[in-house]
Amino acid sequence: MTALDEIRTILTTVLGDYVLDDVEITRDMSLTEDLGLESIDLVTVGAMLTERYGSQVNLAAFLAEMDIDDVIAMKVGTLVDFVADRSAPSLATER
Amino acid sequence: MAVAVVNDVLTHYEHMPARDGTQRSAPKVVCVHGLGYDSLASFYLTLAAPLAEAGVDVLTYDLRGHGRSHRPATGYRLGDFVDDLVSLLDLTVGPEPVHLVGNSFGGTIAFSMAARYPQRVRSIVAIESEPATGIWSAKMGRTFRNTVDAMSDEANLAWIAVTFGNHYARLTKAAAAMIRSTTIVEQVAAGPLLDEQALASIRCPVLAILGGEGFQSDDLGALGAMLPDCRTEVIDGQNHSVLVERHPLVRKLLLGWLAEHDPVGLLADGTPP
Repeated sequence: MTALDEIRTILTTVLGDYVLDDVEITRDMSLTEDLGLESIDLVTVGAMLTERYGSQVNLAAFLAEMDIDDVIAMKVGTLVDFVADRSAPSLATER
Repeated sequence: MAVAVVNDVLTHYEHMPARDGTQRSAPKVVCVHGLGYDSLASFYLTLAAPLAEAGVDVLTYDLRGHGRSHRPATGYRLGDFVDDLVSLLDLTVGPEPVHLVGNSFGGTIAFSMAARYPQRVRSIVAIESEPATGIWSAKMGRTFRNTVDAMSDEANLAWIAVTFGNHYARLTKAAAAMIRSTTIVEQVAAGPLLDEQALASIRCPVLAILGGEGFQSDDLGALGAMLPDCRTEVIDGQNHSVLVERHPLVRKLLLGWLAEHDPVGLLADGTPP
């Protein structure tokens, strides 16, 4: 499973009933504008990432270095690259 | 996601332990967010991780009715929020005093907490916040009335979507849903309020971080005059959104404050010993 696949699974879980039917989550989608994630959802995503990959994948620390506008505009691909960079080498080449 | 039942309300909290978990002297900071569409995310996305990395033990939580915490129909007096904070501390960090960092209404909760339980509060960092005085109550009442009026107009929501984007429009709708389904508007501004004697009893050191164009811009020196031990930092040209828009500066001020007031836990540059 690639990092994108794993992020798709996490985002689908967080979105729950709000996930868009028959729409595939792609790297170019915005987390907030396209997928409708709220800031509190990012807390859940962060907890799921840490649970899945360990403390080295610290989304809160990553986001704390960004401006709020960049957080709101963040795309799925940015999240995928972050996870791939911080997690096990097996995902780093499979984005 | 960590949850605890606090005064019959399922409450979501996040604990970020200090980087060195064996460091028993790590300063304990509890972050309290504001009203409306605010949640613990405001702290989680800005300060929590860098503070934990610097050796601070960080706890933040969703107020009742907000974020992932449950939303009872009633129970939104300021005193209820203070009761929740005390109960959550009892369930998590225990009885030792903590540094409270409050954003907007979160700081108002912190001031009331310090007035009622001075032994539980080591210091307060109040971001765009003020204690629950009569002036505060009147201001909150006006703000709520204006907000309810604005949110009842679909055209305003459409304007927010066009001007600020769908993200803010959704947040505004969520806040409107909370206002409609709870007694928060009727109850919050009722206090209980703090009189001069209660304000004088807040003897812990206070750092007030204010936007030069924020909610207290009409009198930036008011907190310093009102409280026994208050230092005020003003960020010129900044509106009420100090925490989310200026978090690197808030982080720097906060770490400096902790190094000054919790020297066992941190060195002067904000790093653990």
